[in-house]
Amino acid sequence: MSTPPTRDIIDELTGLTADAPLAQLRRQRPDVVRHLQGSDEAIFAPGNDAGLSAAERAAAGLRIAVRLRDVRLETHYRARLRQHDPDGGLAASVAQEPSSIVDPRWRAILCHVDRLTADPDSARREHIDGLLASGLSPRAVIALSQLVAYVNFQVRLLAGLRILGDRP
Amino acid sequence: MSKPMLNFTRGELEWAPWITPVDADAATEEQRQALRITPSSRPVGAYSLVLAHDPGSLAQRSPLYNAIMFGARGLPRADRELGAVATSQVNGCSYCASVHAKRFVELTKEPDVIDRLYAEGLQAPLAPRRKAIVEFSAKLACDPASMDVSDLVPLRAQGLTDAEILDLVQAVAMFSWANRLMQSLGEPVTA
Repeated sequence: MSTPPTRDIIDELTGLTADAPLAQLRRQRPDVVRHLQGSDEAIFAPGNDAGLSAAERAAAGLRIAVRLRDVRLETHYRARLRQHDPDGGLAASVAQEPSSIVDPRWRAILCHVDRLTADPDSARREHIDGLLASGLSPRAVIALSQLVAYVNFQVRLLAGLRILGDRP
Repeated sequence: MSKPMLNFTRGELEWAPWITPVDADAATEEQRQALRITPSSRPVGAYSLVLAHDPGSLAQRSPLYNAIMFGARGLPRADRELGAVATSQVNGCSYCASVHAKRFVELTKEPDVIDRLYAEGLQAPLAPRRKAIVEFSAKLACDPASMDVSDLVPLRAQGLTDAEILDLVQAVAMFSWANRLMQSLGEPVTA
């Protein structure tokens, strides 16, 4: 199986070139590299966004990166958000408590983002019912849950790569 | 993190969705394509049919999962399963923990490792290699920002290479993902 030659999102986030030793170590599992990049594209730049916009997706990613104190990932999602939300309307809400958000749909989304990141075991059926009632389609609910879960994945992978690359 | 997990079991649990699954007979072509690969190559179940509402993400996630948990060489599968159990225990996902505890026991014949983790929590005394894997996984799952190079020392002392440690990192990351889907989209029920 050939090695994917191009720099991918994880290389970008770790600040590595595709031929760096740690980047090469990742490429010993080409299927992981390929489907991780594919997941990023399916989650942040889907063909059909199911009504959950690119700006909203970037804002959700940013909120998780901030909450989990991953500065590089925060910079990444902040740049992506700026690209899709040039007037900064959503960026302001990223730092707000969900209870202070007026729009019930966006409030329900941010509650889901926070709950699933910090305390996944507190998720309940009524939260899903609330997302559906606020106007999200089943597809958008799944896309949102995949997004939150994926960014939580990213933060763990990046933490692992950070310490593996930090050899004394 | 060190509390006993009274609702955790090595017995069989099933998973009941909170969102109506896609009807397999009415699935679109894109959904059918996304369902061709399933996690652990299991038959298509409610979990996959729920995720099929968003076929684009599912089509990438299932092969990613299989590559991380079943990819040839590298960290022994039992150690990846133990990383999955520890992560699931941090997150309180009794469904994932039960499935992967079972796989760990099938591979190792060490049910006492799981019994101790469930009875005494993640700080339970274990043989050194098992303990190194559990503690690293639990810390990474719980507080990734707190990780530093000293966390690698116990794994390296047990002979793990960087490639094997990366396999463990990816298993923990994968269950940081899987737990959150299982916990937010449905609930475990006794089989």
